Amino acid sequence: MIVCVAVVGHQNNPLYLQSFTEADDALKLHHIVHCSLDVIDERVNNPKKTGPTLNETFLGLLYPTENYKVYGYLTNTKVKFILVTTDLDVRDADVRNFFRRFHLAYVDAVSNPFHVPGKKITSRTFADRVSDIVRTFGLGTAV
Amino acid sequence: MVSAYCNRFYATKPELAARRIEAIGYLVGHQLSERYTIERPRFSDHLEAIKFICKDFWSELFKKQIDNLKTNHRGTFVLQDNRFRWLTHVSIDPSPANTDLSQEPSLATAESKAAQATNMHLYFPCGIIRGALSNLGIPCAVSADISNLPACSFLVRIKA
Repeated sequence: MIVCVAVVGHQNNPLYLQSFTEADDALKLHHIVHCSLDVIDERVNNPKKTGPTLNETFLGLLYPTENYKVYGYLTNTKVKFILVTTDLDVRDADVRNFFRRFHLAYVDAVSNPFHVPGKKITSRTFADRVSDIVRTFGLGTAV
Repeated sequence: MVSAYCNRFYATKPELAARRIEAIGYLVGHQLSERYTIERPRFSDHLEAIKFICKDFWSELFKKQIDNLKTNHRGTFVLQDNRFRWLTHVSIDPSPANTDLSQEPSLATAESKAAQATNMHLYFPCGIIRGALSNLGIPCAVSADISNLPACSFLVRIKA
C-alpha cells in the first residue's frame, strides 16, 4: 500500500507531495520524506563500489523505518522522486516500473508552458495520473 | 514567432526582443532536456553533458548531430553545425546586384539589417542550449556565430 509520493527539486525544494491514506499524520510523512533526502545525498556523494553503479537513476530502498519502506529515484536533472510504502514484500521490478511511469507523468507536467520551473506542480491532470499509477501499483505484471 | 517578436511586440527595442526570445528558448530547453534524459543514467561530468547535447539532444531536435565539438578544457566549448536546419533558407548575399538600392552606405545597412535579422533567429537555439545545460546543473552563457552560412557555431562558456 503506497502511503505517500513526493517530488523534490534540485535545491531540495518540494515540488509535489501527496499522501494516500487519511489515517496517518501528514506531518510525519513530510518528516520521513525530509530525512530520506539526506540519505539520497549520502548515496550520491559516496558511491559504494559494490552497490549500484554511480549513474543509475533508480536508487533503490533508501532505508526501512518502523513499518514504512522508502524508495528513491534521482533523475538526470537532480529531481528526486520519493516513494513511501507500507508493503512488506515489494518487488524491485514493481517499484522500477512505478518510477518509470511516474517520471513520464512528471515530464508531461513540467512541459506545461504555464508551469514555472521551481514552483509547485499544480496540475490536476498530473494528480490524476499519479493516483492512477498508485492505484495500479503491484497489480498485474507489466505495463 | 521570431518575426512576431521583432516586428510587432518590440519593434523599437531589439534588445528586449532578443532577451525575450532567448528566455522562451531557455524554458523550452529546460523542458526538452527533462524529456530527453528519461532513460539515461546520470552524467558524471560536464563533458558528458555537453556530449549528450551534441549527440542525442541535437538529433532529437534537428535529426542530425553536431558536426564538430572543440574545447579548451577550461570551461569553453564550441559546437559547430555545418548545416543548421533553421537557417538553411537564409542567405546573406554580399553582391550588390541583387539589391534595389543604388547608394553605397545604404547597401551596407541593408546587409547589416539582414545579419541582424538572422541573429534574432539565433537567440532561440542559444536559449535552448542554455536551458538544457542549466537543467543538467551547468550554468553557462551561450552565443552564436554565423560567419559562413549555413554553418553555424555556438560558443558555450561555463560559469565557474
